[in-house]
Amino acid sequence: MDYLWLKIFHIVAIVTWIGGMLTTSLTLAATRGIEVSTDRSKLIYVIRQWDRRLTTPAMFLVWALGLSLAFEGGWFTAPWLLMKLALVFVLSALHGLLSGTLRRLTRADEASPPVVLTYAPVAIMMLILGIITLAVIKPF
Amino acid sequence: MTPLELHEEQRQLRRMRAVSIFEGSTLVLLVLVAVPLKHLAGYPEATRLIGPTHGLAFLLYVWMLIQTVAGGGWTRLETLRLIVVAFIPFGAFVNERFLARRQAALASTR
Repeated sequence: MDYLWLKIFHIVAIVTWIGGMLTTSLTLAATRGIEVSTDRSKLIYVIRQWDRRLTTPAMFLVWALGLSLAFEGGWFTAPWLLMKLALVFVLSALHGLLSGTLRRLTRADEASPPVVLTYAPVAIMMLILGIITLAVIKPF
Repeated sequence: MTPLELHEEQRQLRRMRAVSIFEGSTLVLLVLVAVPLKHLAGYPEATRLIGPTHGLAFLLYVWMLIQTVAGGGWTRLETLRLIVVAFIPFGAFVNERFLARRQAALASTR
Protein backbone atom coordinates (compact mmCIF):
# COMPACT_ATOMS: atom_id res chain seq x y z
CA MET A 1 0.00 0.00 0.00
CA ASP A 2 1.13 3.56 -0.67
CA TYR A 3 3.10 5.11 2.23
CA LEU A 4 0.75 8.10 2.54
CA TRP A 5 -2.36 5.90 2.66
CA LEU A 6 -0.75 3.80 5.36
CA LYS A 7 -0.06 7.02 7.27
CA ILE A 8 -3.67 8.23 6.85
CA PHE A 9 -5.15 4.97 8.20
CA HIS A 10 -2.52 4.89 10.97
CA ILE A 11 -3.56 8.38 12.16
CA VAL A 12 -7.29 7.54 11.93
CA ALA A 13 -6.66 4.40 14.03
CA ILE A 14 -4.67 6.44 16.59
CA VAL A 15 -7.48 8.99 16.97
CA THR A 16 -10.01 6.16 17.46
CA TRP A 17 -7.78 4.35 19.95
CA ILE A 18 -6.85 7.37 22.06
CA GLY A 19 -10.42 8.74 21.99
CA GLY A 20 -11.67 5.37 23.26
CA MET A 21 -8.96 5.13 25.92
CA LEU A 22 -9.69 8.62 27.24
CA THR A 23 -13.43 7.83 27.34
CA THR A 24 -12.76 4.60 29.24
CA SER A 25 -10.33 6.20 31.69
CA LEU A 26 -12.65 9.15 32.40
CA THR A 27 -15.61 6.79 32.87
CA LEU A 28 -13.61 4.71 35.36
CA ALA A 29 -12.49 7.85 37.22
CA ALA A 30 -16.10 9.13 37.31
CA THR A 31 -17.50 5.85 38.68
CA ARG A 32 -15.22 5.96 41.74
CA GLY A 33 -17.30 6.36 44.87
CA ILE A 34 -20.59 5.94 43.01
CA GLU A 35 -22.90 3.22 44.35
CA VAL A 36 -23.49 0.17 42.14
CA SER A 37 -26.77 0.87 40.33
CA THR A 38 -28.61 0.06 37.11
CA ASP A 39 -27.53 3.39 35.58
CA ARG A 40 -23.87 2.78 36.40
CA SER A 41 -24.07 -0.77 35.02
CA LYS A 42 -25.64 0.51 31.78
CA LEU A 43 -22.90 3.13 31.38
CA ILE A 44 -20.13 0.58 31.96
CA TYR A 45 -21.81 -1.85 29.56
CA VAL A 46 -21.92 0.77 26.74
CA ILE A 47 -18.29 1.84 27.29
CA ARG A 48 -17.21 -1.79 27.41
CA GLN A 49 -18.95 -2.59 24.13
CA TRP A 50 -17.23 0.43 22.56
CA ASP A 51 -13.89 -0.75 23.94
CA ARG A 52 -14.33 -4.27 22.56
CA ARG A 53 -15.70 -3.34 19.15
CA LEU A 54 -13.75 -0.19 18.33
CA THR A 55 -11.01 0.87 20.74
CA THR A 56 -9.22 -2.50 21.01
CA PRO A 57 -9.31 -3.31 17.24
CA ALA A 58 -8.07 0.28 16.62
CA MET A 59 -5.10 -0.37 18.92
CA PHE A 60 -4.09 -3.48 16.96
CA LEU A 61 -4.54 -1.56 13.71
CA VAL A 62 -2.24 1.16 15.08
CA TRP A 63 0.44 -1.47 15.78
CA ALA A 64 0.06 -3.25 12.43
CA LEU A 65 -0.01 -0.04 10.35
CA GLY A 66 2.73 1.59 12.43
CA LEU A 67 5.07 -1.38 11.97
CA SER A 68 4.25 -1.43 8.22
CA LEU A 69 5.12 2.28 8.04
CA ALA A 70 8.41 1.64 9.83
CA PHE A 71 9.26 -1.12 7.31
CA GLU A 72 8.22 1.01 4.32
CA GLY A 73 10.15 4.04 5.53
CA GLY A 74 13.20 2.05 6.67
CA TRP A 75 13.00 3.58 10.16
CA PHE A 76 13.81 0.47 12.17
CA THR A 77 17.38 1.45 12.99
CA ALA A 78 16.37 4.93 14.20
CA PRO A 79 16.68 5.36 18.03
CA TRP A 80 13.66 7.73 18.14
CA LEU A 81 11.47 4.95 16.75
CA LEU A 82 12.62 2.43 19.38
CA MET A 83 11.87 5.01 22.08
CA LYS A 84 8.47 5.70 20.52
CA LEU A 85 7.72 1.95 20.37
CA ALA A 86 8.52 1.67 24.09
CA LEU A 87 6.06 4.49 24.87
CA VAL A 88 3.38 2.88 22.64
CA PHE A 89 3.98 -0.39 24.49
CA VAL A 90 3.37 1.36 27.84
CA LEU A 91 0.23 3.01 26.40
CA SER A 92 -1.01 -0.41 25.19
CA ALA A 93 -0.36 -1.95 28.63
CA LEU A 94 -2.34 0.90 30.21
CA HIS A 95 -5.17 0.18 27.79
CA GLY A 96 -5.05 -3.50 28.83
CA LEU A 97 -5.37 -2.44 32.49
CA LEU A 98 -8.31 -0.12 31.72
CA SER A 99 -10.06 -2.73 29.59
CA GLY A 100 -9.62 -5.44 32.26
CA THR A 101 -10.87 -3.08 34.99
CA LEU A 102 -13.93 -2.27 32.88
CA ARG A 103 -14.61 -6.02 32.65
CA ARG A 104 -14.16 -6.35 36.43
CA LEU A 105 -16.66 -3.56 37.09
CA THR A 106 -19.39 -5.41 35.21
CA ARG A 107 -19.49 -7.84 38.13
CA ALA A 108 -22.14 -7.12 40.73
CA ASP A 109 -19.73 -7.28 43.71
CA GLU A 110 -17.14 -4.86 42.28
CA ALA A 111 -17.66 -1.40 43.75
CA SER A 112 -14.86 0.88 42.51
CA PRO A 113 -11.86 0.91 40.18
CA PRO A 114 -8.40 1.19 41.81
CA VAL A 115 -7.36 4.70 42.91
CA VAL A 116 -4.25 4.62 40.70
CA LEU A 117 -6.44 4.53 37.57
CA THR A 118 -7.81 7.99 38.35
CA TYR A 119 -4.45 9.24 37.03
CA ALA A 120 -4.89 7.31 33.76
CA PRO A 121 -6.23 10.27 31.68
CA VAL A 122 -3.16 12.35 32.62
CA ALA A 123 -0.83 9.43 31.90
CA ILE A 124 -2.45 8.94 28.47
CA MET A 125 -1.96 12.63 27.58
CA MET A 126 1.68 12.60 28.75
CA LEU A 127 2.43 9.46 26.73
CA ILE A 128 0.72 10.90 23.63
CA LEU A 129 2.76 14.09 24.00
CA GLY A 130 5.98 12.05 24.05
CA ILE A 131 4.93 9.80 21.16
CA ILE A 132 3.85 12.65 18.85
CA THR A 133 6.94 14.72 19.69
CA LEU A 134 9.21 11.79 18.78
CA ALA A 135 7.24 11.04 15.56
CA VAL A 136 7.22 14.66 14.33
CA ILE A 137 10.66 15.91 15.37
CA LYS A 138 12.54 12.57 14.98
CA PRO A 139 15.30 14.00 17.22
CA PHE A 140 17.92 11.20 16.90
CA MET B 1 -20.22 -15.18 40.88
CA THR B 2 -23.54 -15.18 39.00
CA PRO B 3 -24.05 -17.68 36.11
CA LEU B 4 -23.72 -14.80 33.62
CA GLU B 5 -20.44 -13.63 35.19
CA LEU B 6 -19.19 -17.23 35.22
CA HIS B 7 -20.03 -17.54 31.53
CA GLU B 8 -18.19 -14.29 30.78
CA GLU B 9 -15.13 -15.47 32.73
CA GLN B 10 -15.14 -18.77 30.81
CA ARG B 11 -15.28 -16.88 27.50
CA GLN B 12 -12.34 -14.69 28.51
CA LEU B 13 -10.29 -17.75 29.48
CA ARG B 14 -11.19 -19.47 26.18
CA ARG B 15 -10.07 -16.39 24.22
CA MET B 16 -6.87 -16.17 26.25
CA ARG B 17 -6.10 -19.85 25.65
CA ALA B 18 -6.69 -19.47 21.89
CA VAL B 19 -4.33 -16.46 21.77
CA SER B 20 -1.70 -18.41 23.79
CA ILE B 21 -1.80 -21.28 21.29
CA PHE B 22 -1.64 -18.84 18.36
CA GLU B 23 1.38 -17.03 19.82
CA GLY B 24 3.17 -20.30 20.61
CA SER B 25 2.43 -21.66 17.13
CA THR B 26 3.85 -18.60 15.36
CA LEU B 27 7.07 -19.04 17.38
CA VAL B 28 7.22 -22.74 16.44
CA LEU B 29 6.75 -21.76 12.77
CA LEU B 30 9.42 -19.09 13.05
CA VAL B 31 12.04 -21.25 14.78
CA LEU B 32 11.38 -24.62 13.14
CA VAL B 33 10.30 -23.58 9.63
CA ALA B 34 11.13 -19.97 8.70
CA VAL B 35 14.65 -19.74 10.19
CA PRO B 36 15.85 -23.10 8.69
CA LEU B 37 14.30 -22.06 5.34
CA LYS B 38 16.27 -18.81 5.46
CA HIS B 39 19.62 -20.26 6.50
CA LEU B 40 19.54 -23.73 4.90
CA ALA B 41 17.43 -23.18 1.79
CA GLY B 42 18.28 -19.52 1.09
CA TYR B 43 14.64 -18.44 1.35
CA PRO B 44 14.62 -15.21 3.48
CA GLU B 45 11.00 -14.34 2.58
CA ALA B 46 9.85 -16.92 5.15
CA THR B 47 11.29 -14.98 8.10
CA ARG B 48 10.14 -11.67 6.56
CA LEU B 49 6.56 -12.98 6.70
CA ILE B 50 6.56 -15.07 9.89
CA GLY B 51 8.80 -12.69 11.91
CA PRO B 52 6.39 -9.73 12.01
CA THR B 53 3.41 -12.12 12.35
CA HIS B 54 4.99 -13.56 15.48
CA GLY B 55 5.80 -10.04 16.73
CA LEU B 56 2.16 -8.97 16.43
CA ALA B 57 0.97 -12.28 17.94
CA PHE B 58 3.28 -11.69 20.93
CA LEU B 59 1.89 -8.16 21.39
CA LEU B 60 -1.67 -9.50 21.25
CA TYR B 61 -0.76 -12.24 23.73
CA VAL B 62 0.85 -9.89 26.29
CA TRP B 63 -1.98 -7.37 25.92
CA MET B 64 -4.64 -10.05 26.43
CA LEU B 65 -2.75 -11.34 29.46
CA ILE B 66 -2.72 -7.86 31.05
CA GLN B 67 -6.43 -7.47 30.27
CA THR B 68 -7.27 -10.93 31.68
CA VAL B 69 -5.31 -10.38 34.91
CA ALA B 70 -6.72 -6.84 35.35
CA GLY B 71 -10.18 -8.42 35.15
CA GLY B 72 -9.56 -9.65 38.71
CA GLY B 73 -9.81 -12.94 40.55
CA TRP B 74 -6.09 -13.76 40.35
CA THR B 75 -3.68 -13.93 43.29
CA ARG B 76 -0.41 -11.96 43.10
CA LEU B 77 1.54 -15.20 42.72
CA GLU B 78 -0.68 -16.36 39.83
CA THR B 79 -0.32 -12.96 38.12
CA LEU B 80 3.47 -13.00 38.53
CA ARG B 81 3.64 -16.58 37.26
CA LEU B 82 1.56 -15.81 34.15
CA ILE B 83 3.62 -12.73 33.27
CA VAL B 84 7.05 -14.30 33.90
CA VAL B 85 6.16 -17.42 31.87
CA ALA B 86 4.84 -15.21 29.03
CA PHE B 87 8.36 -13.88 28.43
CA ILE B 88 9.97 -17.36 28.30
CA PRO B 89 10.14 -18.84 24.76
CA PHE B 90 7.27 -21.32 24.24
CA GLY B 91 5.93 -20.31 27.67
CA ALA B 92 2.57 -19.58 25.99
CA PHE B 93 1.92 -23.34 25.82
CA VAL B 94 2.64 -23.65 29.57
CA ASN B 95 0.30 -20.74 30.32
CA GLU B 96 -2.38 -22.27 28.09
CA ARG B 97 -2.39 -25.42 30.25
CA PHE B 98 -2.53 -23.26 33.41
CA LEU B 99 -5.52 -21.35 31.98
CA ALA B 100 -7.18 -24.63 30.96
CA ARG B 101 -6.92 -25.91 34.55
CA ARG B 102 -8.45 -22.68 35.84
CA GLN B 103 -11.25 -22.95 33.29
CA ALA B 104 -11.94 -26.54 34.37
CA ALA B 105 -11.96 -25.46 38.04
CA LEU B 106 -14.43 -22.69 37.25
CA ALA B 107 -16.66 -25.10 35.33
CA SER B 108 -16.77 -27.46 38.31
CA THR B 109 -18.10 -24.67 40.56
CA ARG B 110 -21.33 -24.52 38.54
